Amino acid sequence: MGLINKTDEQYYLGPDGVWDSWDENYGSYQFTSIKDIINNFIISYTGEDKIISKVKRSDVAFHAQRGIQEFSFDLLPSVKSQEIEIGPSLGFILPKDYVNYVKLTWVDGSGVERIIYPTSKTSNPLPLTQDSNYEYLFDNNGNIITADNSETKKRFEKATGDSQNMDDTDTTALESFGARFGSTPENMQKNGVFYIDQIKGSIFFDSSMVSKIVTLKYISDGLGSDEEMVVHKFAEEALYKHIAYSVLSTRANTPEYLVSRVKRERAAAKRNAKIRLSNIKIEEIAQVMRNKSKVIKH
Amino acid sequence: MAVSVDAVYQKVLAILNKEQRGYVTPQEFNLFANQAQSDLFEQYFYDINQFGRVPGNSTEYSDMLTLLNEKINIFENIAEPTRSGLYFIPPSDLYRLGSVVYKNTTTDSFGTSSTESVEAERINANEFLYINASPLTKPKNVRPVFVSNSSGIRIYGNSEITDTTKVELQYIKKPAKVEWNYQMVFGEALYDSSASVDFELHTAEEVELVVKILELCGLLIKDISLYQVMNQEEQETIQQEKA
Repeated sequence: MGLINKTDEQYYLGPDGVWDSWDENYGSYQFTSIKDIINNFIISYTGEDKIISKVKRSDVAFHAQRGIQEFSFDLLPSVKSQEIEIGPSLGFILPKDYVNYVKLTWVDGSGVERIIYPTSKTSNPLPLTQDSNYEYLFDNNGNIITADNSETKKRFEKATGDSQNMDDTDTTALESFGARFGSTPENMQKNGVFYIDQIKGSIFFDSSMVSKIVTLKYISDGLGSDEEMVVHKFAEEALYKHIAYSVLSTRANTPEYLVSRVKRERAAAKRNAKIRLSNIKIEEIAQVMRNKSKVIKH
Repeated sequence: MAVSVDAVYQKVLAILNKEQRGYVTPQEFNLFANQAQSDLFEQYFYDINQFGRVPGNSTEYSDMLTLLNEKINIFENIAEPTRSGLYFIPPSDLYRLGSVVYKNTTTDSFGTSSTESVEAERINANEFLYINASPLTKPKNVRPVFVSNSSGIRIYGNSEITDTTKVELQYIKKPAKVEWNYQMVFGEALYDSSASVDFELHTAEEVELVVKILELCGLLIKDISLYQVMNQEEQETIQQEKA
């Protein structure tokens, strides 16, 4: 019996019977749900005469979810993104399922995404309030009173590109042509910069980003919602091996040869999954490699 | 599939009375019969554990695990529990609880409802505190857990499950109490099949039942030689089965 349980019409029109109306769940066949992963694992890997004689379902569920988290971090392709227009506050609140960013871009008039780079030259420290004698101010509970925004942040927001040394404008460029030693490439661009305030859970930009459309591409841990708890079929085998290794390696009195065998199998399966998910297509590589025969001009 | 209580009683009497050793009354036989049945029945579970550790074989009628499962399957039962207070109450004939099944009903985006039976996992009461506290192991309707104690069973999915129609217990029931009943006809005890209860054990256990009851009869009539012969017979059978 096949795995597809929808008719063609159900697939293309979805529950509301309307073509391409955001409820169809197109492309879902490439994923396997965590529920199926857990059931399949218990059936195939546990029981008498199997590699794991007995295991609790909650243990399998735990390791399966941890596996999805780990795979989301370094194996599965990042698919999450958000696009907003940056307002005068120059902030971008981190998404609720944010774990780390892949890249931040702003979109130019042609729809091309231009990468915004992080800066390490500024931050948003916790601003303590002081009186005219520079002594700290305390509230009724004896806690230090803090301000909403730090002076560092305010000044950075007000500053222009030139003073921040983030622009590639270089008045001495012509004079120093061929002799520009010691320049810092991270600042030699004019796409703007950002920094992340982990305490406030926001990304802040420099003043050049006002009114620009910014896209955040980020990594989540794949466990945000039940629908999200899926793994690509290319990585399904790797997840089974991950669960098997995790269960065996945390169990007392398991022969070490068995643990190391499963560990090797897991590493091989993860490597395979990574290669598969790298999406290498021979025609695309050939097209890129044709570039190598071009004459490099200065 | 049952073993006739009368057939066993007649065989016991025939062997026991050989050389005028003695006699076992129906009341005594009924006691011994139930003792022997319980003894054999309980042994199944330990034998399954033992044979689970050795490689089986694919011969159709000779794989020990298959044979044992066939003997136990006779007692497998499925029932809905009743509800009392906070607990699900298992059926009164429960001997060993197998699986607690929760019928999880979901509705897909097409509005179609489907019910899937999922097994609840048995956990200890102290484990529940930790399992429930961790977001990765917290019970859900797709992987419920249950805690069992002398008051009954509590099942947890997304929240505590209380609907008895959504729960099913798969269990091993107690073997029925064996009874050889009779009516007195001309001073003779005549077997009354309508009032008697047969052994529920598999037919293959008839010989073993006779041997075990005779062992007990040997003790009753203080004939140690009978006990020894029967015990030897039993040991030979066990040795043959488990070799």
